[in-house]
Amino acid sequence: MLIVLAFHATGCGSSATPGGRPGEMVYYGEGGDIKGFDPVRASDVDSALALCKIYEGLVEYDYLARPYRVVPCLAESLPEISADGLTYTFRIKKGILFQDDPCFPGGKGREVTTGDFIYTFKRLMDTKNYATGSWIFAGHVVGVDEWAKASEDRSKPTDYSRPIPGFEAPDRYTLRIRLREPYPQLLWALTMQYTFATAHEAVEFYKDDFLNHPVGTGPYRLKRWQRNYRMEFERNPTFHGQLYPSEGAPGDREKGLLADAGKPLPFIDRIILYNVREYYTWWQMFLQGQIFTVGISKDYFNKVVNADLELTPDMVKRGIVLRKEPQMDVYYLGFNMEDPVGGGGKTPEEAERHRKLRRAITCSFNQEQIRETYAGRLIPASGPITPGTTGYDPKKIYPWRFNLDLARKLIAEAGYPDGKDARTGKRLRLSLDMGGAGDAETRQLGEMYVGFVRQIGIEMTLNFSLQPEHWRKLERKETQMFSAGWVMDYPDAQNVLQLWYGPNESPGVNHCNYKNPEFDKLYQRILTMQDSPERTAIYQKMADMIVEDCPGAFMFHRLIYALLRDWVVNFKPHDFPYANMKFYKVRPH
Amino acid sequence: MTAYIIRRLFSVIPITMGVLLLVFVIYRVIGGDPAVRLAGKNATPQKIEQIRKTFGYDKPKFFNWQEAWQNTKPAFAQFRMEFARYRSKEVGVGTVFQAGFRLLRAPMAVFDSQFWQIVRQFAQLDFGKSLQSNQRISRMMADGVVPSLCITTPIFVIELFVAIALALLCAFYRNTWLDRTFVVISIVGMSISGLVYIMLGQYFFSFELGWFPVWGFEGVNYVLLPVAIGVIAGIGGSLRFYRTIMLDEMYQDYVRTAFAKGASHKQVLFKHVLKNAAIPILTNVVVAIPFLYTGSLMLESFFGIPGLGRMTVDAIYTGDEPVLFAMVFIGSVIFVIANLITDLCYTWADPRIRLQ
Amino acid sequence: MTDTAANSAALAAKPQTLWSTAWRQFRRNRLAMICLGIVAIYVGVFLYAESVYWFARLRDVVPSYKVADFAARNAHPSTAHWFGTDFAGRDNLAQLIQGVRIAFEIAFLTSAILIPLGFLLGALAGYFGRWVDTFIIWLYSVVDSVPSILSIISISYVVGRGMKGIVIGMGLVAWVGLCRLIRGEYLKHKQRAYVAAARALGAGHLTVMLRHIAPNVLHIIIIVFTLAFPRFILTEVILSYLGVGITGEPSWGVMINDAKQRLWLGVWWELGGATAAMFFLVLALNIVGDALRDALDPKLKTAEGSKA
Repeated sequence: MLIVLAFHATGCGSSATPGGRPGEMVYYGEGGDIKGFDPVRASDVDSALALCKIYEGLVEYDYLARPYRVVPCLAESLPEISADGLTYTFRIKKGILFQDDPCFPGGKGREVTTGDFIYTFKRLMDTKNYATGSWIFAGHVVGVDEWAKASEDRSKPTDYSRPIPGFEAPDRYTLRIRLREPYPQLLWALTMQYTFATAHEAVEFYKDDFLNHPVGTGPYRLKRWQRNYRMEFERNPTFHGQLYPSEGAPGDREKGLLADAGKPLPFIDRIILYNVREYYTWWQMFLQGQIFTVGISKDYFNKVVNADLELTPDMVKRGIVLRKEPQMDVYYLGFNMEDPVGGGGKTPEEAERHRKLRRAITCSFNQEQIRETYAGRLIPASGPITPGTTGYDPKKIYPWRFNLDLARKLIAEAGYPDGKDARTGKRLRLSLDMGGAGDAETRQLGEMYVGFVRQIGIEMTLNFSLQPEHWRKLERKETQMFSAGWVMDYPDAQNVLQLWYGPNESPGVNHCNYKNPEFDKLYQRILTMQDSPERTAIYQKMADMIVEDCPGAFMFHRLIYALLRDWVVNFKPHDFPYANMKFYKVRPH
Repeated sequence: MTAYIIRRLFSVIPITMGVLLLVFVIYRVIGGDPAVRLAGKNATPQKIEQIRKTFGYDKPKFFNWQEAWQNTKPAFAQFRMEFARYRSKEVGVGTVFQAGFRLLRAPMAVFDSQFWQIVRQFAQLDFGKSLQSNQRISRMMADGVVPSLCITTPIFVIELFVAIALALLCAFYRNTWLDRTFVVISIVGMSISGLVYIMLGQYFFSFELGWFPVWGFEGVNYVLLPVAIGVIAGIGGSLRFYRTIMLDEMYQDYVRTAFAKGASHKQVLFKHVLKNAAIPILTNVVVAIPFLYTGSLMLESFFGIPGLGRMTVDAIYTGDEPVLFAMVFIGSVIFVIANLITDLCYTWADPRIRLQ
Repeated sequence: MTDTAANSAALAAKPQTLWSTAWRQFRRNRLAMICLGIVAIYVGVFLYAESVYWFARLRDVVPSYKVADFAARNAHPSTAHWFGTDFAGRDNLAQLIQGVRIAFEIAFLTSAILIPLGFLLGALAGYFGRWVDTFIIWLYSVVDSVPSILSIISISYVVGRGMKGIVIGMGLVAWVGLCRLIRGEYLKHKQRAYVAAARALGAGHLTVMLRHIAPNVLHIIIIVFTLAFPRFILTEVILSYLGVGITGEPSWGVMINDAKQRLWLGVWWELGGATAAMFFLVLALNIVGDALRDALDPKLKTAEGSKA
């Protein structure tokens, strides 16, 4: 007993690091559940946010400019692109140092060269790493697929000295990427954390533990990480330096977003992020000032925001500002097209009936009701393309929007008048996989869906499962209907249209298992097309095809409202905010 | 005595193996294939197969008869050949022994299976890696023990002493209004869900009144509220239990004798009753020890204490099987050891028990 | 010890005595009688809720407690809605009443697994002894060693979420206590004269076990059921919090877990209603269980630890 108590006394003392040193700019926030600091493996938003504080890539998003554009980061300038669109030549800035770390000789970080990028890209393609981002290069860059294939041999370690023909290093600071076909999304893809420069010394030194010891070039370094609880970042003293942008989108100057133009980044000295799982705890911590920002859940919305979508006086008095973040995402309910009840059907006649059933169900969903329940924080969706992307038309009217009369007519035509099978008289029963077990919001949304289809006589059961279980069911095509969402990786509609491309069927991302040869042909065509009005027209045509066939009921795009303490400045909402912390500033409060 | 202790020590093995078997059956036999999960979202069947091989999930579940048979057949042939050569004086007796040894070893391949692999691994305290965070589980556990103990130890100690003190008070004043009040309070306390205590406690004392931080584990003031809530939520059950024990002792013959001898009420209570109640109290205390380790699931996840309880809840939420597997196993082993220690304490305190 | 045989012979001859004496003693405990009344009210509510559920189910209509009214979301308690409404404008009182149904269903279904399992294994172990006993002791030591909430979750993880998972999980974990008690009783009864007499008269092992001894240990099952019931209810709350709770139907655990999000808004009636509904039932059952135990078998008192 005594041992236990003594143990306990020292334990509590050592982990206490409250507050900050005087004059220091500290930011407290919510960090979510992260999967470690290995750039090639992190595919979720929280991990990306954490990684991008430490690692950097060749290019990044412009913080202020809209529409989004790519600006150089570790590259000196945007790449020279050959006329045929097949060769990209990057010049890397000189004098960029990896942060100091014991993995380097003498503990001093060395200079970043082209070799580091090629090494990083190889790691991404090495199948032994189970890299989640290998799709960035796979099929696009000359020789990567062969290299990846060779790395599958488990009997020996992957040979990193073997070159990939598509990645060339003419000199220490030049990187040439050669493509098989034009790949217009390449620059967008290079802003993602998968391709961020890593040092082979760190990977070799830490081996399995590399995901706990990030060694990057970015503005911050990891000071302490208590898994599942807290991350602490501090300023990287050998950061190569970057200046706050001096040009912004129209209106940014009036909002004070250019006050710090030309000043060196980052502003904040220390970042402390907690992993608060319970939303309502997060909320209480925010109001108590323990953390600086919080999203607003639907239940709280009316309490903090009035009818004109302005903050209530009480909140303003507390020094809280409202921020509105449009989300480039789309949420839909997918039908498994291989399902015997609502799927593609075996005969054209059956296919037509099933299509009518899918349309009827879609028509029964009251998007307006959901929007109201979520206090107007949703944009009803009219198709697969997300707002802010070329091809999105805000004025488009969803042909299967809420319309009970149409729904009843369609379901009768589908062979289920009043929801009962015309032949057997039995009520139609469907099952919907929601995922999100244990999450009250998901359950409540599911209960709303059940209520909607009940209006046309369909009895729907809900299945809730943990994320891994949910994915597994989708991969094995074991669902009938499922709830899913897609958050854009880059602002190009191709990214979301891949969800309906036949060869991507489960276990790929096309979990509806939708197959339409005509659609597939168009998809293959747009893959290599540069941005042009013609491509936009094809995007819209493809979207219409999906809406017409109705393999999924498109529900909404999110519009996130969040609260921020007014002492956090230089904050501009961004769809890809991963590296943005370096621009924020904390005023004394 | 020594023989008894040794016998008792050995009895731990079948129970530990049983626990392992139970957990294995739940997660691996009925639970499905962990390789599919490991492979992640966009896995190809080849990739899954590859993982299955690397982690040994392609092996049989319990006994690898096939492998054993395939090993034994050539070994037996070899042995027969060597033996024949020995009979014809071609080789010495040593070679025959070697072949014989190989023959005996060959069927051991029957243990080349998933279950026995886990047994071997766990015996070396290697629990593998978390599916969610890719961290070594043994390391995650080491990180989580201290925060857990920071919460559970004070709860445990305070609850024990307060409950025993109140129980003595109740026994002393039994069937008076004082006793009855405490009994009612304890039953009322037991009838409210622990979750409600936590929710209301956090809401009022942290959020509304701002006396404590809402969440986190940065200093002593972060621990006070969870400890207080833990004590309040648990004290009802403990008090009722200890009171029953004390009252049971109060009606024993020796207490009557002590009173008859002219001992004072107080003397009887502290000298005789408390001493004799020690054994049931001890049992209850030891049974609660695994709780120190698993931490309080609810308290830790509500108050953001980065301990084992929170780790377990995380594992439940994310379906992190290896972590759950390891937590269940360690929790059980600690329970088994705690029980063993109680038993040994009993025999030490009361040698008659050994004979039963 | 000499008069035990005579005692039990008397008991065996007139099994009614135990029950009637117990009932007389129980009746004298006024608090317990009040609580029995409360339990009776809950049973009435349970039957009502069950009929509402089946009525809607057989008629193939939407049950009233599921009808959403989005205009009246999170409404304060009023004469129309005594306990206010929830996030979808459904009447909280109707949900609480259905919560009674779920609580009773969980308790009954779990007991349907727990009692036969615990009784049979306990009886076999106590009656036959030797290797059967050793094996069953090993079995329950193993099950008992695993922290119970973790094994319930593990089981429900495998058999599926929701009612099925909770019931099977709790049933397969909670039989240990009953098994231990029954085993002890069988060990005792095996030695009694009436058992020897029955055997001498040519009764088979099964007959002795089930026909002769079983009626003498029946009261233990009743006590265990009454005392386990409240624990099932409290466990369901924790399981709901951990995401393995009931889905599709209103349960108290789900209501409490939903309520934490809205406490900040002053929506106290959801939490208050569910806590109160649960509190009175658990309290009444605890007191009735204690009184039953005192009346039927005072020696059982310390058979269970303070930590469930």
